[in-house]
Amino acid sequence: MRQLIFAVTASLMLVTAPAVAQTVGFAEAIKMLGASCGKDIETYCKSATLANNGITQCLEQNQSKVSAKCNADRKVVISLISERLAAQAAVPQICSRDIAQYCKGVKEGAGHILRCLLKAKPSVGAKCNTAIDMAGYR
Amino acid sequence: MKTYLLAGLSAAILAVSCTGLAAQTELNRNEIINSLQGAQQEVNLSADELQKAAIENIQKYPGANSPHDLPLADKLASLRQFNVEITFDFDSARIRPESYETVGVIADALHTPYLQGQTFVIVGHTDAKGARQYNLDLSIKRAQAVREALVTTFMVPPQYLFAVGLGEEQLRDPSQPDAAVNRRVQLINLGFK
Repeated sequence: MRQLIFAVTASLMLVTAPAVAQTVGFAEAIKMLGASCGKDIETYCKSATLANNGITQCLEQNQSKVSAKCNADRKVVISLISERLAAQAAVPQICSRDIAQYCKGVKEGAGHILRCLLKAKPSVGAKCNTAIDMAGYR
Repeated sequence: MKTYLLAGLSAAILAVSCTGLAAQTELNRNEIINSLQGAQQEVNLSADELQKAAIENIQKYPGANSPHDLPLADKLASLRQFNVEITFDFDSARIRPESYETVGVIADALHTPYLQGQTFVIVGHTDAKGARQYNLDLSIKRAQAVREALVTTFMVPPQYLFAVGLGEEQLRDPSQPDAAVNRRVQLINLGFK
């Protein structure tokens, strides 16, 4: 019995572990908006567009009519997008020492430095490796 | 006892399907990156020139259908590019919810260091049904709508992203001018500034 409980927690950890070590991509985040709010968007936001956050603003204005799932998920989507943006913006700073140490002389731009960091993964520090994971750059 | 077993099993299955999903999104993003990266340092073509070429094509060769490709067609074909399908409301530039994910995948690709610092043009195309000028105008609005979504909702740096509409002036399959295959959004890498 105890072993079984252990098995359950172990597999639960499998589920949650990637969520801790990674933020979610823009595609996955916005897909959630389409899936959870698609019907409400077509009903209440027929003239709103994805530009300038028009859809999420329209859903907020109509929150009393919008489905419960959409009301919960529209907020999640907004925070998922800003989390991913923040995670990506943080990489150069967090990885600056690893870049100086392992990617000396590597040309900037076109992803050369990222390629170098990915290749040097076993030597690169844990913080930088985690930052790369969080940014969805792997 | 049985419930524990079941719980463990379903959790494990969930873990598998989660990674499966992530891998699929990843693949699409990487497909776009692989098609778009490796641009020449400098591309001798601007979004403005491309837009002008389509407008002039209608003025110079009026009629129901364009008699030939744009003069820039060969140059266009030589650039790093990727085609996506985005669905809009009928006669409108409003992106439909089922295409949000596609716009998100483009954002995922453009936000990677592999493509940063390069200039991209989003090119809208229609099929040949309807008037050419109308199709041109609609495709311009649709390309702009995709650009707007990318630079606002997904914070893609606006200075690297342009929108152009070619209407029905550059069909993908000129032998079938009305076919759905012609309706597409093209991402083209214009290289480093």
